[in-house]
Amino acid sequence: MTAKYLIACLLFNVVTLSFGSIRGYICPYTQKKFLEIATSALKEQNISNIYLGANSYTFLNKPVPQELTKSSCDQLKKLFKPDLEIEIVFQSVAAQKLLGCNGAVPTQNLAKQAQDILQSDKSTVAELRYAAELLILLGQQVPNVAKIGQLTQVQLKSDDSLLSLGHALHLAVLLGNSGKFVTERIEDIVVQADEVDGKILQWEGGLSTTSLIITGLLKFPDANPLTAVQADKLGNYLLSRTVVQTPKGISNLLSATTALAASKVSPVAILVSGSKSVSIDNPNLKIQVSDIFGRALKPVPSPVVAQSATRIADDVVVLARQALTAGSKATEFLLPLKLEPGYYKILLNVGSHSTTLNARVLGPVEVKSFEIGLSDADGSSAPHLEKLSYPNLLSKRLQGDSGQNLLVKFTLSRQVHQAFVRLSAGKKEIIFVAGQESNNQYKVEADLGQELPISDVFVIELIIGDSIITNPFLWVVGEIEVKITSASSLATPKINRGPKPEIIHMFRQPDKRPATFVSLFFTVLTVSPLLVLLILWGKIGVNLSNFTARAVPFHLGFGAILGLFTLFWLKLDMFTTCAWLIPIGGFTFFTGHRLLRHMAGNKKAEKCFFVLVRIKM
Amino acid sequence: MKYLIFLIFALVIGAKAQGNTLVLLDNQVIKETHSLFFKSLQDRGYSLVFKIADDASLNLSKYGEYLYENLIIFAPSVVEFGGNLNVDTVTQFIDNGGNVLVAGSEVTGDVLRELASEVGFEVDEEGAFVIDHLNYDISDEGQHTKLVISSENLIDAPVIIGSKKGIAPLLYQGTGILVDSENPLVLPLITADSTAYSYQPDHPIKEYPHAIGRDTVLIAGLQARNNARVVFSGSISFFSDEYFTSSVQRALGGLKAEKSGNQDVATAISQWVFKEHGRLRVKSVQHHKAGEKTPPQDYTIMDDVVYKIGIEIYDNGKWTAFSANDVQLEFVRIDPFVRTTLKNNGNGIYEAKFKIPDVYGVYQFKVDYDRVGYTRLYSTTQVSVRPLQHTQYERFIDCAYPYYAGAFSMMLGVFVFSIVFLHMKDDDKKSKHE
Repeated sequence: MTAKYLIACLLFNVVTLSFGSIRGYICPYTQKKFLEIATSALKEQNISNIYLGANSYTFLNKPVPQELTKSSCDQLKKLFKPDLEIEIVFQSVAAQKLLGCNGAVPTQNLAKQAQDILQSDKSTVAELRYAAELLILLGQQVPNVAKIGQLTQVQLKSDDSLLSLGHALHLAVLLGNSGKFVTERIEDIVVQADEVDGKILQWEGGLSTTSLIITGLLKFPDANPLTAVQADKLGNYLLSRTVVQTPKGISNLLSATTALAASKVSPVAILVSGSKSVSIDNPNLKIQVSDIFGRALKPVPSPVVAQSATRIADDVVVLARQALTAGSKATEFLLPLKLEPGYYKILLNVGSHSTTLNARVLGPVEVKSFEIGLSDADGSSAPHLEKLSYPNLLSKRLQGDSGQNLLVKFTLSRQVHQAFVRLSAGKKEIIFVAGQESNNQYKVEADLGQELPISDVFVIELIIGDSIITNPFLWVVGEIEVKITSASSLATPKINRGPKPEIIHMFRQPDKRPATFVSLFFTVLTVSPLLVLLILWGKIGVNLSNFTARAVPFHLGFGAILGLFTLFWLKLDMFTTCAWLIPIGGFTFFTGHRLLRHMAGNKKAEKCFFVLVRIKM
Repeated sequence: MKYLIFLIFALVIGAKAQGNTLVLLDNQVIKETHSLFFKSLQDRGYSLVFKIADDASLNLSKYGEYLYENLIIFAPSVVEFGGNLNVDTVTQFIDNGGNVLVAGSEVTGDVLRELASEVGFEVDEEGAFVIDHLNYDISDEGQHTKLVISSENLIDAPVIIGSKKGIAPLLYQGTGILVDSENPLVLPLITADSTAYSYQPDHPIKEYPHAIGRDTVLIAGLQARNNARVVFSGSISFFSDEYFTSSVQRALGGLKAEKSGNQDVATAISQWVFKEHGRLRVKSVQHHKAGEKTPPQDYTIMDDVVYKIGIEIYDNGKWTAFSANDVQLEFVRIDPFVRTTLKNNGNGIYEAKFKIPDVYGVYQFKVDYDRVGYTRLYSTTQVSVRPLQHTQYERFIDCAYPYYAGAFSMMLGVFVFSIVFLHMKDDDKKSKHE
C-alpha cells in the first residue's frame, strides 16, 4: 500500500509545470524510507555514515532509538583516531553531539589541530570550513577571523569551483563581518545554476553540490539570494531526487529541503490528494496545500480559491471564483464539483500561489434506445428491427445465415469510449466496435457470412464503458443462430499439443479358409480312387504269380525313393535329399534294369515256346 | 596455491549459482521499486548483474562465450541498447539457448518492439493501455488501466503457473500484446477479459483496436524449438514491489484479496522462463523382444516388442523421475504405424508392449513429448524389421490336406501299381489265346 504513495509522489514531480507552487512533497512514505536508510547507516562501521544517519534523524525530527545510540557511540569510540582528516574529525564530533554520547571522542587536542589548519595557507576552503565548524562545535571562538577571510579569498582565486564556493558560503557565516566578501559572489553562484525543462534548477555536481549551495545561500537571508520561482524549481529538483538510497544523499537532500522550507521563499505544494475523480455522490475534490515537507503552512494561506474550472473537451468555463472549504486536516481543502461528467482543468489560487489541476467528474450513462435485427446483405428488403430496453432479453432467438447482416443500433445518454458488441459461442468471441453516427447514436452492421467463422449459436452482448461513467455494463441482449454455408471457413488448422489419437496397426487378415470338415471330405475324395483301385483288385483278385525274389531290391529302392520324398517334405532340405537320392537312385536304376532284363528274357523264352508249340501243331 | 584457492572458489561459486543473469534497467530506481522480484531471484541462487540499458559497456558474450545464461530487460523506454547489445545480438542469444524476460509498458521503446516481433509477439502502439472499464482496481487513477485479472485468465498449464485455484487476482497496468494464434511456439500466459481492449485512453476509438477482448495478451511466452524461453510482459508494474504487496479489489465489486497474486505468478513465470520448471530429458531407452533382455539384431514382422524409456524432470536443482500419463510412443516408417500411450511404471520409466506390424522396413521408435510449458522431449531409435524366413511360415494347413492326400495316394498308387504291373500273370490273355 505504502509503495503506492511513493509512485504517486514521483508522478507528481515529473508533471510539474506550474509557477508559484510545486506539485509534490516529501510524503510520509518517503520519509519512512529515509529513516530506514538512516537507521542502517547508523549501524555501519563508518564515521561518515554514522554522522549522516544521525543528521538525517535530526532533520526528520525523530529521536534516534536508544539501543542504536549506544551501538553507534561504541562504534565512534572504536573508529575515531585524532589523525583523521579534518572533515571526518568534524563529523565524529558532530555525530557525538547529535547522538548525545559525551566522551566517545577525545576532544582535548582537536581544537589545537583545527587552529593549525586555520592558520595554514595550504588549507583548502573545505578544510578551513570544517576546522571552523569544529571549533564552534567545541564551544570555542574562531580566532583571527580577518586572516581566515583573507586565506579563503586567496584559495578561491586558485579554485573557484562551485564546491569551494559552497564551502566558502558556509565558512563566511562563521566569520561574521570578515566574511562579507562572499556576498558579492552570491549573485554569481545563483547565475551558475542550470535549468532543466524550465521546471528544475540545479547546480552542476549533483545533489551534494546543489545541497551544499542551497544551505549555504540560505544562511544569508538578508541578501535575498533566491527568488520564489527559483526556490520552486530547486524544490522540484529536490523532489526529483527523493529516490536516493545513500546516507549521504539523504542527509544532503534533507538538509537542503529543511533549509528551503525554513526560508522566506519556502515552496508551496498544491496537489490533489486522494482520488482525482469525483462523482455526484461524492463531489468533493480534496486538495492538499502544504510546504515541501507536507506540513501545514504558517500562516494559513488565504484565500484558497478556485479561479476557474474549464471543461477540457470544449473549453467552456463552468465555474468561477469558488472558495474552498477547509477539510479534516489543516493541509486539506475541499472543492465541491457538481458538474456534468467530463474532464476539467481547475485554476487554483492559494494566497499568492497558483496552480492548475486536472480533475474528472463521473456520472452514469443510460441506454436511451436499442434496436437489433437482421437485414439482407444485398439490401433487397427492409431490415426487420426489434426494439429492446435495458436490461431486457430478446424475446426469441434470431435466425441468421451467411447472406444476412446483423444490425444493432443504439443511442446512449452520452458519448463513451467503449461501445462494443460481442458475439460469443463457447471460447470463440468476435467483437464489433460500434461506429458513432451522430449525437450519441451508435451502429454496428456485421456481415455474418464474412465475420463469423462457423455455424453456431452466438450470445449477443453489448459492452459499454468509459472512464467517466459510474456504471459501465455488459448487457446480454440475446442469442443468434447463424448458419454459414461457405465451406472454406471450416478448415481452420488447429494446433494440438496434447496427446494424439492412438493408432492401432491393422494387420492383414488371413484369407478365409474352408471348414475342416470340407477339407477332410475332399481329402477322402482325393484318396478314394486309390481305395477304389485296391478294393476292386481285392474283389477281382490279382494274379502275382510272376513275382520273383529278383524283384525285391528294385521295389525296396523305389520305395526308399518315395520315402525319401516324404522325408524331404517333412524335414530334409534339398541338399540332404539329393545326397541320399544319388545312391538310392543308382541302386534302383541298377536293380530295375536287372529286373526288366530278366523279365524281357523270360518273355522271349515264352514267345519261343509258343512258336514251337504252333509249329508242332 | 593461489590457483588452487581460486579453483576452489570458482567451484563453490559454480555449485551455488543458478546462472548469471544480466538485468538491464531504465534507471537505478527500478532496482528499488522491483526489489522483491530481484530478491526472490537472488534467493534462488541467481547472480544478478544490474546495468543501465544504454550503458556503453554492455556485452553479452566475450571471446565467443556467453557471459550470461539469462537476460532480464526491465527497461521499457530504452530506445537503443548500449555497448554491443542490439536486437540481433539478443536474438542470437536466444538462438543459442539463452532465456530472456522482457517487461514493456505503454511507452515500450522501438528496440523492444523489434525484439518482440523477432520472437513472435507484437506490442501495441505507443501510448496504448489495456483498458477494461469493468474490471479495474479500486486504486485506479481514473483511466481504468489498472486492471484486476482473475486467475481464470491464466494459461492452463500447471507447469508454468502452478495450480490456478489458489492464486489471488492479479494487478496489471500496461500495454497489450498480440500473438499469432497459429504459432504453436507462442503461449499466451495471461490474457485480458472479454471486456478489455488495448487503446490510447485519451483518444476516441476511431480504428478497430489492435487487441480486443480475450485476444489481448498481457504476458506472452515463447518456448523456442531449441528450448530457449522468452517471456514478454506488457507491464513492468506487474513485477513491482507495489503490485506484489498491494491489496486487490475490483472497483465494481466481486474479486477481492488482501494481497494480489502478482508475486506468486511473477515468481512462477520467472522460474519457468529461466528453466527451473518444465525441463525434461531422456535418461534411458531400452527395447527388446518380449521375454528377452537385449535388443536383437533386427526384428521380424509381427514380433511382440517391449519398449521402455526413462524420463527425468529438473526440479529444485536435481533431476528426478518425471510422472505423467500421456507420454506416447510412435512406431514410424515414414508414417506412424503404431501410436500407443506408454504405461507409467513409476520411477520415471514408461513401458509399451505391442506387436510389430506385418510390413517390413526400417522403423523408428519415436517419443515426441511436446506439451505446453515443458521443453520438447524427442527421442528416436532406429531398428530394422525384416519379413518372415521360409521356415517361419505355417506347416500342415488343414485345407491343404486334399493336396497332401493326392500326392501321397499317387505315390502309393504308383508303388503298388508298379508291383502289380510288373508281376501280374495274365490268365485271361492266355485263356483267350487258348
